Amino acid sequence: MHAPTWLRWAWVVPAAFLVAFLAIPLASLGRQVISPGTVGYLFDPLPWRVAGLASGQAIVSTLLALAIGLPMANVLTRYRFWGRRWALALATVPFVLPTVVVALAFRALLGGSLGSGFAIVVLAHAYLNLAVVVRIVGARWVTIDPRMDLTARSLGAGPWTAFRTVTWPALRPAIASAAAIVFVFSFTSLGVVLLIGDSSTRTLESLVLRQTSILLDFQGAAVSAAIQALVVGSVLVWAARQRAAQRGGSARPMRLIRPRGRSSLAVGVVATAAAVIVLAPVLALVWASLRSSSGWTLAWWSGLFGPNTIDAGSTRIGSPLSAMARSLTFAIATGAVAAVVGGLAAVSVLTGRIGRAFAIATALPLGISAATLGLGTLLAYGRPPLDLRATGLLVPIAHALIAVPLVVAVATPTLRATDPRLVTVAANLGARPTRAWWTGYGPALRTVMVAAGGLACAVSLGEFGAASFLARADGPTVPLVIARLLGRPGEASFGVAAALAVVLVIMTTTLVAAVDRGGRRR
Amino acid sequence: MTRIPAPFVLVLTASALLLAACSSESASETEPEASSAGSVTVQLLTHDSFALSEDVIADFEESSGINIELVSGGDAGSMVAGAILAAGAPTADVMFGVDNTLVTRALDEGVFEPYTSPEADSLRPDLADQTFDGLVTPIDFGDVCINIDDTWFEAQGIAPPTTLDDLVDPTYSGLLVVQDPGTSSPGLAFLLSTVARYGDEWPNYWQQLKGNDVAIAGSWSDAYYGDFTFGGGGDRPIVVSYATSPPAEIVYAEGEPPETVSTSSMDDGCYRQIEYAGILAGTDNVEAAQQVVDWLLSAPVQEDIPLNMFVFPARAGTPLPEVFTEFAGQVERPEQLPADYVAENVEGLLTEWGSVMGR
Repeated sequence: MHAPTWLRWAWVVPAAFLVAFLAIPLASLGRQVISPGTVGYLFDPLPWRVAGLASGQAIVSTLLALAIGLPMANVLTRYRFWGRRWALALATVPFVLPTVVVALAFRALLGGSLGSGFAIVVLAHAYLNLAVVVRIVGARWVTIDPRMDLTARSLGAGPWTAFRTVTWPALRPAIASAAAIVFVFSFTSLGVVLLIGDSSTRTLESLVLRQTSILLDFQGAAVSAAIQALVVGSVLVWAARQRAAQRGGSARPMRLIRPRGRSSLAVGVVATAAAVIVLAPVLALVWASLRSSSGWTLAWWSGLFGPNTIDAGSTRIGSPLSAMARSLTFAIATGAVAAVVGGLAAVSVLTGRIGRAFAIATALPLGISAATLGLGTLLAYGRPPLDLRATGLLVPIAHALIAVPLVVAVATPTLRATDPRLVTVAANLGARPTRAWWTGYGPALRTVMVAAGGLACAVSLGEFGAASFLARADGPTVPLVIARLLGRPGEASFGVAAALAVVLVIMTTTLVAAVDRGGRRR
Repeated sequence: MTRIPAPFVLVLTASALLLAACSSESASETEPEASSAGSVTVQLLTHDSFALSEDVIADFEESSGINIELVSGGDAGSMVAGAILAAGAPTADVMFGVDNTLVTRALDEGVFEPYTSPEADSLRPDLADQTFDGLVTPIDFGDVCINIDDTWFEAQGIAPPTTLDDLVDPTYSGLLVVQDPGTSSPGLAFLLSTVARYGDEWPNYWQQLKGNDVAIAGSWSDAYYGDFTFGGGGDRPIVVSYATSPPAEIVYAEGEPPETVSTSSMDDGCYRQIEYAGILAGTDNVEAAQQVVDWLLSAPVQEDIPLNMFVFPARAGTPLPEVFTEFAGQVERPEQLPADYVAENVEGLLTEWGSVMGR
């Protein structure tokens, strides 16, 4: 491949990022916690039993997310219909909303108890991770030429055979990527498990939280966190192997298909179902933000924007408007950092063995629990000689660590599918190396980076765990403000939290739609 | 002419935005420091529930020349965990909000530097000896109590429960929701209150609660807004919450504060949580940190505490707001366990609770 020279060094940036913001914090934490005696904790059966339980739960969650997400990905990314772009942005909403908000909204709507246990936890995980499937698989699906399918059909293949022999092989690596990430999110789930879980749905993440903040048993927590990282690492290596089996093909986004006849009916059904699934909690939130014990009210909204905002004059939540501005800034910063670091990591996958190793390494933060990452970062960069908290950079950096693996997962399958001969052709026609490389990979890179950037922004907007350690007490993000409001009694606390959650939905949808649109225009 | 690739434009724009955002943010942060030149900044590490009035803080900053920078440590448990891990090279100067279930571990790990505030003479008599040899200073206390939706009980024509013993009565079957003590601080406090009350017989009490169809929620928010009949759309009129939750219902009601509130706090079986402040060992700002501890126990802060954090002030004779005197649970004899007993036994208690409740 005629890669430009600078590409061979692309891995340096993600590597430096990982060393600075993952390895050093983990080392600071490990030095404080791990002693020779820690080995003894490995023989405690509890974390291993929890790991087994969580694996089973995560596998079922992943299968369910794929079953619902794949038809949605097909319709939302390949067919042309009214409102498609907004539907795609809305599909990101469940992923970004703080879980406590979604669950409480559903309860407000349905009344009574949601129930708890294995089935409801698995459903919740599938629901929250729809965006992962839609975004990652969709980014690849949109580059598959529908004429391939038509050709197979005209050669006599039935729809199922055509799918199995044409579409499926091309999609498989992307599906493996998405499945790995849904598995990892379900395996490390915390909010859902605390909210509606029982003894059959414990995760190592919830065990780490209990060992850290209730028992103050740091060595036990270190072992649980290590087992979690081990499982997550194995799954990610498996996904990387699947991606390596990719074969070539065009990676340009195809024109959207105009649905006709029976397919338009199918598109309509899937699109409507998707809208209902995604909109239900949003509508429940809107409803909760307009209801009080005495009927309809606008009090909660004026508590956000009016002259007398809730808690004005107290340091409890700060100004809601400045929390929104702060969250937006963090989200854009996260999107930028994650796009650069993740983009270079994905590109370096194309260039050789070192790059591939680092591409897997960039995915590791997914397996690090928020408490571990938060405490490690605090020890490394939250006190003299290097106190970065006042710079406001720690939150976007932590968010970027979580978002980079998603960027890599979205970008890699499509980049690998790009035909390298395009670069050769461009070079033979006289283009300089960089220009030639861009001719080959540019269009695909642009599509996937935009999809990935949107996902990274969404991650940052909804993230709660790491931010609670790293945000300044008087500088909370929107999810932190929501949690603080929901942490005390009073109708106004709940109502304003619901209104703020609606604002979070609007911010997410708008930001993601804007990023999507920006990418398509050029 | 070479076209500049779109992603680079995006990235550049985003980076520029980021830089602009950062520089404007840091500029606004350094401004107040510059205005009071030569002053020191004290970093005050607190948990998510910390709050004071902005003008109370501003008054102190003006009169003392000390800038207060609030640093968040997450929830109370995570904050203490972080302080223990950083013991000796702290991430702040003063920590506020470590409570009596966690304080012993922090003391053992050498988190605090000894300091006895001159203001400590004005502590309530029952808190005066709670300084652990002058390492920490009690600042406030609150009681974790059973809360009752009185309206619900009135509508059903049933008398609400008044004691812990009542909760296992079949009359109240399926009506109580508690929090998992392994993940929630009020949940743990309620477990400890049953241990304090029933001693070695506590697993038996929980067995009976289980037989009476108790619901277990993961967090306070989930129990109060999810399961409790009053807070949201739940179906359980008895919940573990705080003695001060009824006054909070009044303060955070819609529009004008109502005359009365339809929830009440049960005075039996409450567990008392005391919150302490202490100077973090290793700070360079010992003198200023001492002033901040004095200030936390001074009359202006103590009077400001109830309506901001919904806990009771530790300073004797601090006037309470009317909603507190009228609607808060008045707990004469709270349940309590020695802090070192809790530190030693909490893991065993949680394990046994888990096996009794099948979680």
